[in-house]
Amino acid sequence: MAFLDVLMLGFSEAFTPTNLFFCFLGALLGTLIGVLPGIGPTATVAILLPVTFFLPPLGALIMLAGIFYGAQYGGSTTAILVNLPGEASAVVTAIDGYQMARKGRAGAALAIAALGSFFAGTVATIGLAVAGPTLSSFALSFGPAEYVSLCIFGLLAATILAHGSVIKAIGMVCLGLVLGMVGIDVNSGSTRLTFGSTELYDGIDFVVIAVGLFGVAEIASNLEFKEARGVLQSTIGRLWPTRQEFKESWGAVLRGTGVGTILGVLPGGGATLSAFSAYSVEKKISKTPEKFGHGAIAGVAGPEAANNAGAQSSFIPLLTLGIPSNSIMAMMLGAMTIHGITPGPSVIQNQPELFWGLVASMWIGNAMLLVINLPLIGVWVRLLKVPYRLLYPAILLFCCIGVYSVNNRGFDVALVILFGVLGYVLRKAKCEAGPLLLGFVLGPLLETNLRRALLLSQGDPLVFVERPISAVLLLITAGMLLTLILPAIRKGRKEAFEASED
Amino acid sequence: MSGSSTAKRDFPDILAGGVMIGLGALGLWAGRDLQFGSAAMMGAGFLPDVICGMLIAIGAYVLIKALGKAYEPFDESNFKPLIILVVAIAGFAFMSETLGFIVSTIWLLVIGSLADQESRWREIAISTVLLTIFGALVFIYGLGVQMPILPF
Repeated sequence: MAFLDVLMLGFSEAFTPTNLFFCFLGALLGTLIGVLPGIGPTATVAILLPVTFFLPPLGALIMLAGIFYGAQYGGSTTAILVNLPGEASAVVTAIDGYQMARKGRAGAALAIAALGSFFAGTVATIGLAVAGPTLSSFALSFGPAEYVSLCIFGLLAATILAHGSVIKAIGMVCLGLVLGMVGIDVNSGSTRLTFGSTELYDGIDFVVIAVGLFGVAEIASNLEFKEARGVLQSTIGRLWPTRQEFKESWGAVLRGTGVGTILGVLPGGGATLSAFSAYSVEKKISKTPEKFGHGAIAGVAGPEAANNAGAQSSFIPLLTLGIPSNSIMAMMLGAMTIHGITPGPSVIQNQPELFWGLVASMWIGNAMLLVINLPLIGVWVRLLKVPYRLLYPAILLFCCIGVYSVNNRGFDVALVILFGVLGYVLRKAKCEAGPLLLGFVLGPLLETNLRRALLLSQGDPLVFVERPISAVLLLITAGMLLTLILPAIRKGRKEAFEASED
Repeated sequence: MSGSSTAKRDFPDILAGGVMIGLGALGLWAGRDLQFGSAAMMGAGFLPDVICGMLIAIGAYVLIKALGKAYEPFDESNFKPLIILVVAIAGFAFMSETLGFIVSTIWLLVIGSLADQESRWREIAISTVLLTIFGALVFIYGLGVQMPILPF
């Protein structure tokens, strides 16, 4: 069977000693930053991006992917034990997980979180393996008009599903698009928006923007005030859940996996949105909703399964269509570009070892995480005591030398300052930097295809609605925008996000 | 949020609108000499101008709406860490190519460490020495980043 053949290919790639090592390293690093509050997966991937330049392409992707899903495991550990979610996606886990810990059931909560995550990771990985080839062979028939509509759909959907104000997020997308245009225009050869600086002829490097917005700005805002420290529940308790706890959580794990797998695929989706949605699903269908917030194990199992499933399935649009759905996927795209790989439908065809190796490594990585997390939980708990003031100088050094190494010049490091300050100002203005990054990476794709489509149609914009796939995509986008204008739905969205912030 | 006329205005949104308008205008100005072209034959300036225009329009909308919104102040801010970080990184950026890794890293780490109000000199000294050695071994010797080690 062809499916088994490619799967075998994937596992033979992923099981080479180097790739196993990178997988382990990624999972370990992911857990580490998941446990440590104050540094998230987005910043870590941004900082390590330049280092991956020195690695083989598959090894680099395996490691970066491991950081992302590893962080979902690690984030729940601190959420449960100290009520301090290491990652945004673990915020809901803290609600019931910490209550369980206070009742001495921390061990059970951790075990359910890890086992649920492993199950969800496995299912979502299979989903990726099944959906990947189907979607990509569909996408191979896309012309320039379809790509334009897909980019617009992806960018707008990402802003609507993201946290906070939609109009500001659209503004951030525009800002990202403009930043993506800096440099020499490939069509005409004229330099654009470079302010006469020859260093900007090749455009702004992706790493510079990512490190500035997510690395430096994050350190600056973390240092603004004294570190918040949670109170550690000293006893973890018995790790193995009771039969009753198993009974209460397996349904939640199944539902969370489903919610996460589907929401992860959507633009703007991913781990965080999946976790929040799974929590509200569990609360709604529970026979005892009053137990939520007081240590309901379903409130740990559902979101934990969902955030891991979402983390895995958000790779689907990137690997099949070349469209990243959130800022981490944008960085994966950046990493692929560094290695000269153009993400999109042709990857599965032309470089099957890359796609299937990554898929196989995800499953291996999830299995590794189970081992890294459960028996070694004590080590991670001790790590929580490392103060941020010892941590951030190292992060700072990684940022600077990493950016320097991209082009071996100090100019890029100076540019990071600009984006660090911009990132800080945007935080104060309550603007999300994620959409900006998406706009920046999708900008060139959007512009090339827009020019091509309009050149072919001789400037007739109707080409976008005459082609069926493109028309459908634009129709969905328009529908989403319309629902935002309708007051009832806008209110519902606001309530959903406000509830999720509690 | 009651009472006086100043009890309106969403300050984060005003800042957001201002930033968008400012950057959009900057983009329009920087691309003022670029050829605009037509939809069928887009010049280099077509999309930059269109997107910058959208950016300004969105910024203006956000700004105007913000003036009528319920009062919302900025989050409490402390600019000191940001300023110290900027100084630290700027030093690294300008010294790295000429003075080399050791000097610029020590500058980066010592100045950068001051950004935390709880920093202690002993810790800074130890972590700077360890990180400088680690960085030199891993990045310069290990990964082969093209940066001189010492000024001479």
